Amino acid sequence: MKPTNLTEQESLQIIQQMVDKAKGNVGDDAIFYLLWGWLVLIASILHFTLNYLGNPHFWAVWPVLMTAGGIASGIIGARKAKKQPTKGYIDKLMGYLWGGFVITLFIVLIQARLIGWNYAYAIMISLYGLATFISGGVLNFKPLIYGGITAWILSIISFYVPMNWVVLLVGLSMITSYLIPGYLLKNKYHG
Amino acid sequence: MAKKLDPLLHNELRLSILSLLISLEHADFGYLLEKTEASKGNLSVQLTKLKEVGYIEITKTFKNNYPYTECKVCPKGIEAFEKYVNEISKLLNLKK
Repeated sequence: MKPTNLTEQESLQIIQQMVDKAKGNVGDDAIFYLLWGWLVLIASILHFTLNYLGNPHFWAVWPVLMTAGGIASGIIGARKAKKQPTKGYIDKLMGYLWGGFVITLFIVLIQARLIGWNYAYAIMISLYGLATFISGGVLNFKPLIYGGITAWILSIISFYVPMNWVVLLVGLSMITSYLIPGYLLKNKYHG
Repeated sequence: MAKKLDPLLHNELRLSILSLLISLEHADFGYLLEKTEASKGNLSVQLTKLKEVGYIEITKTFKNNYPYTECKVCPKGIEAFEKYVNEISKLLNLKK
């Protein structure tokens, strides 16, 4: 087998270019940040408003919107997996991370009565922060890392404010941790 | 210089293929074709060469009634790739 006349620089350049190309589909994840960011933001504003207006069914916005989000995510994820000719290690890690996040979220939700709803929301904001922080580190995308840190700060504040305000902090954490980084991620890869 | 380097990897297309596969769990033929911008024939020949030395694994199946070729890097390929990267890094350092 005859070696070609590649220089070391050319070899390194090829490796760099190909490794970069393999990262190409990372920006597709932005859709999930935007979908959940908007859904949870809308749910938290509706919760706050309905509760403020004295409607006893304010809590119903969560199961309705979150179920819709779960179905939409499932469809988008399945379509993405079908179209995608590759599976990268980053995709695999993100799948396990967000899968684990959802399971932990459910455990907190199921036990929310025991924990107390306002504390449960504060823990959930912290969990959003954790998953966003790790995603930012893995994708090497700073807005997500800052989004995660912001969620942790909002989570600490949430432990000390009345319940209805905690819901608004959930909404605020969606803007800083999902929506702003989500739009920046989308623009970076598809802008 | 080339004496020290693995001749199987010291080739633009084969190095491109392995660099892509090293970052992915698996990739199909169409994806490799798009990213390497090689011709179907050449890509097929180079994939076979990499398979013959045990650097990659090729699985041929059918997807929606169309032939589907999936490629995956093997431990031997990872080892060879790491060795190759180390060698070129050493050579680059010597030149500095």
